[in-house]
Amino acid sequence: MAKQTSYFPELKRNWWLKHPYFKKYMAREATVLPLVFFLVCLLVGLFSLLQGAESWQGWLRFMQNPLVIAVNALAFIASLFHAWTFFQLFPRVMPLRVGGRALPPNLMVLGQWFGVVVVMILAAWIFMRGL
Amino acid sequence: MMTKKLSIQRYLPEQGNAPYWQDFDVPFDDSTSILDALNYVKEELDGSLTYRWSCRMAICGSCGVMINNTPKLGCNSFLREYEGPVKIAPLAHFPVEKDLIVDMEPFLDHLAAVQPYLIDDSRLIDDNEEGTQTYKQTPAQMEKYKQFAGCINCGLCYSACPQFGLNPEFLGPAALTLAHRYNLDSRDQGKKQRMAQMSREEGVWSCTFVGFCSAVCPKNVDPAAAVNQGKVESAKDMLIGIFKG
Ligand code: SF4
Ligand code: FES
Repeated sequence: MAKQTSYFPELKRNWWLKHPYFKKYMAREATVLPLVFFLVCLLVGLFSLLQGAESWQGWLRFMQNPLVIAVNALAFIASLFHAWTFFQLFPRVMPLRVGGRALPPNLMVLGQWFGVVVVMILAAWIFMRGL
Repeated sequence: MMTKKLSIQRYLPEQGNAPYWQDFDVPFDDSTSILDALNYVKEELDGSLTYRWSCRMAICGSCGVMINNTPKLGCNSFLREYEGPVKIAPLAHFPVEKDLIVDMEPFLDHLAAVQPYLIDDSRLIDDNEEGTQTYKQTPAQMEKYKQFAGCINCGLCYSACPQFGLNPEFLGPAALTLAHRYNLDSRDQGKKQRMAQMSREEGVWSCTFVGFCSAVCPKNVDPAAAVNQGKVESAKDMLIGIFKG
């Protein structure tokens, strides 16, 4: 325990402004905010689909609002940024071994991005078919 | 010789409760470390300056200080790397006893809490010949934990960790790394005991992967990786516990 004579500086609420490293960390954490907005949009969309044609049209109009498009574009960029940081962390948390050898981290990062591209192509294919 | 300004945080408990900053001009060349600079201040300018050091070669782990808000080993950082004035303060998140000396007791307690030694009850039998046999370990088995065994207990990672700063009960990077290091050791049987520590609230789950601990570690131990591998182990442990009922 701290002795009577010692001085114990308390961590202030703005601790994360004190170092560029912490600001970057907070930026990574903050990517969740626009994502939450996107998810709420999605949920409201599903709901209005159930409500009937009129409310669905209303939702479509809402989604075309430039501000809404801007925030959703931000959500997209933010999730790519988050993925970028996450993919780099992943090989450190789950080091994989193949045949007794450690898989090089770069290969794992590449593999994850490959996965993203595959999912995107798949989604685009499904979307295009619907048109 | 060129000089650089050092701004050192002073705290003299016998003179009052508030720390203050004091500036010193220190001559330097390419080989002058921060520790050299502190020694110069103590020998030539102000004998009352108090700080810890021993090996001056980044192995004893005693000379940690905050240099411009980043935890560093004084003997392993050089004045040439900094634009003056260089701000030197005691390691963050620890109680300050005097000047640059902090109370490392909370850190040492956390280290001890994870039982950082080989636990193997099968070798306890004294009269048994087996007890005197040496352990065998292949290079491949050693490779699994080697990186995490390089810790010199300098505590820099604790000063880098905001979660420890917010909650001093958090076991913290080095202790959780040490726990993981012994869990990965093929000679050890103590994983069960350590998992109890790692899985409690102040264990691995208090970590939010800020990652600064690994950035400041002078030995490339990568404590953030160890702690988060610990989360995977802890989750596995819980799942197995659920299935076993
Ligand atoms: S993990 Fe690195 S920074 Fe932390 S105490 Fe050990 S050597 Fe120091
Ligand atoms: S004096 Fe030993 S690590 Fe710096």
